[in-house]
Amino acid sequence: MNTPLLQLTGITKTLKGQTAPRDILTGVDLAVHSGESVAILGRSGSGKSTLLSLIGLFDRPDGGEYLLGGRDITRLPERKAAALRSAEFGFVFQRFFLLKHLTAAQNVAMALVNGQGWLGGRRRRATVMAALEQVGIAHLAKHRPPRLSGGEQQRVAIARALVREPRILLADEPTGALDTETGQLVIEALRSATDRGCGLILVTHDRDHADRMGRVLQLVDGVLAPAGARVGA
Amino acid sequence: MALSGRFRSSLVIGLQGIRARKMRTLLSMVSLFLGVLAVVVVQAGAELAAAAALADVELREGKDGTVQMFVPSEGAAGTIAMDTLKGRKDAVGVISTGAIIGEPGVTPINPHAAPFDGRGRGPDSDYYCDSSGYCFPGRDPKLAATSPGQAIELGLSGMTGDVRQFRPYRPVSGQWLDFDSAPSLSPRLVLNKEAAKGFGRYRVPAEMRIEGAPVNPTPRIIGVVDDGDEQPRAYVRADELLTWMPTTVANQRNGGLQVLLAPTATEIEQILKSRLVANGVAADHMESRVINSKEQIASQLALMRWVFLGMAGLVLLIGVAGILNVGLATVGERVEEFALRRAVGTPRSLLAGIVLAETLLTGLLTSAAAIGFGVLGLKVLGSVLAGRGPFPQQLDFPWQAGVAGVVAGLIAGLLGGLIPAIRAARVPIATVMRA
Repeated sequence: MNTPLLQLTGITKTLKGQTAPRDILTGVDLAVHSGESVAILGRSGSGKSTLLSLIGLFDRPDGGEYLLGGRDITRLPERKAAALRSAEFGFVFQRFFLLKHLTAAQNVAMALVNGQGWLGGRRRRATVMAALEQVGIAHLAKHRPPRLSGGEQQRVAIARALVREPRILLADEPTGALDTETGQLVIEALRSATDRGCGLILVTHDRDHADRMGRVLQLVDGVLAPAGARVGA
Repeated sequence: MALSGRFRSSLVIGLQGIRARKMRTLLSMVSLFLGVLAVVVVQAGAELAAAAALADVELREGKDGTVQMFVPSEGAAGTIAMDTLKGRKDAVGVISTGAIIGEPGVTPINPHAAPFDGRGRGPDSDYYCDSSGYCFPGRDPKLAATSPGQAIELGLSGMTGDVRQFRPYRPVSGQWLDFDSAPSLSPRLVLNKEAAKGFGRYRVPAEMRIEGAPVNPTPRIIGVVDDGDEQPRAYVRADELLTWMPTTVANQRNGGLQVLLAPTATEIEQILKSRLVANGVAADHMESRVINSKEQIASQLALMRWVFLGMAGLVLLIGVAGILNVGLATVGERVEEFALRRAVGTPRSLLAGIVLAETLLTGLLTSAAAIGFGVLGLKVLGSVLAGRGPFPQQLDFPWQAGVAGVVAGLIAGLLGGLIPAIRAARVPIATVMRA
């Protein structure tokens, strides 16, 4: 089999809050291949978002190994992590995090800013419009977020995640703030990214949405296991 | 992939931020405005003061570096000096005397070469001075013996060469003295502006009575210069002046001869001193000094400028505190935006650059407003005060004040934006995951 896009082995993370430290991840193993979609289910506080933040290089694991395309990135310095986030990952969050003072196109273009600066004007516009078209809202390019519906806003956020043509798309409860019908459309938009070889990791509470992914995993007691299976079995 | 630089990205995103928060930007500008304006005003005032103080100092005193030497009126010292300096381009001897042009035997319109607009010493003054500059109490007995008439009294400077290399008189009209042609029996005069004012205002006969000269020549006025002197004065070739009076008389009447030498003319200075000493002039009677008036005045003005700039800097600091306050509040409100930007790959340094770009642009906008206000204020001030007292006729906004305003705005933007920029760069990305 090909080298996985990303591979986590024995990942651990302890959260140090005001109370006693809590082992949130105790040994996560995960491999995601190109074009594969993975859903991660779990109760609130089970560590889904923590896991996603480790995969997205927002944070570092306390232990274990993280390979991206076969390259060990477990202890990557922040500057290189930022460059990787920009080049390899796309993020979709539960709250859309669109800047109200920017148009839909400008919000998407935000993801094109990286360590080197910005794409040139004409190329930037073309890239942004292509991403908006991909999620079917190119006609809303000049609209600002307050004038868009919840579903439209989330699709702008998806376009922002896809604009750099990432190898891995991370979605953290992307339908949490949407009605069922709009949620379906958003899941479909995310899934379509895998058709172009992008790996998708979806964190969700919704079993229906999870079932539309290629694989469904459950995070229980700090480890990942196939949904429905007993941990340790 | 064609990528533009971080700098441009920071500016573009910073501008977007400013447009999104117009009221905040306005508040920052208001807090900064007085400080930047204070810097602009101090710099403009200092430049105008320097221009007024330094404009004429070279005309009156001479360029910095010029060596000024006084040859005493002992024996044949004057004749020796004139002979030594003859034909030299790097040294000029200046004989000063007085002259009255106009009707003979009358009290001049401006006794003692006083300015024509009421300043200086008139015929009713309670003291009088002779042509050597010595003043005495009481009314001038010479004036008491004559009746008022159409004559103008002025100072007369006879020169062995072109003095403008040392004192750069500004041409006003006509021409300057020609030192290469043969001397004329009719002395050619170049008037200063005050003397030209007198000749423009009064019609006087062309007869010149030179102090100490036995015969009155008929002068020819060939030009007007601005020499920075408030008293009427005329410049003449020394040889044309000495056609009508002996050197010894000219030398004795005015306490000696003034010699101006280029900084490189050390040889002629030594020759002149040696010849004078050889002819019995005491070496310690020959004073010489290097002119540095402009430098002295400039250093005094610079001191004043720094004192006032220091005060303006304090006002600017208050503005910086304002911009810092608004900046910190804004960063607090934009935590999610910065976390999101970091999440999509914007590096910390670029985030800090975006915040700094906003405060720097705010500083620049404030500078533009303060400079505009300064230009307008100076125009209004100019229309009210120009020509009065120490104010020059034309008050142009000095470009240095504009530069100072821009620098002040940028510094304030930098100082006020630094801490918010660091805070923005440290916003944890996890903020977007936990929201």
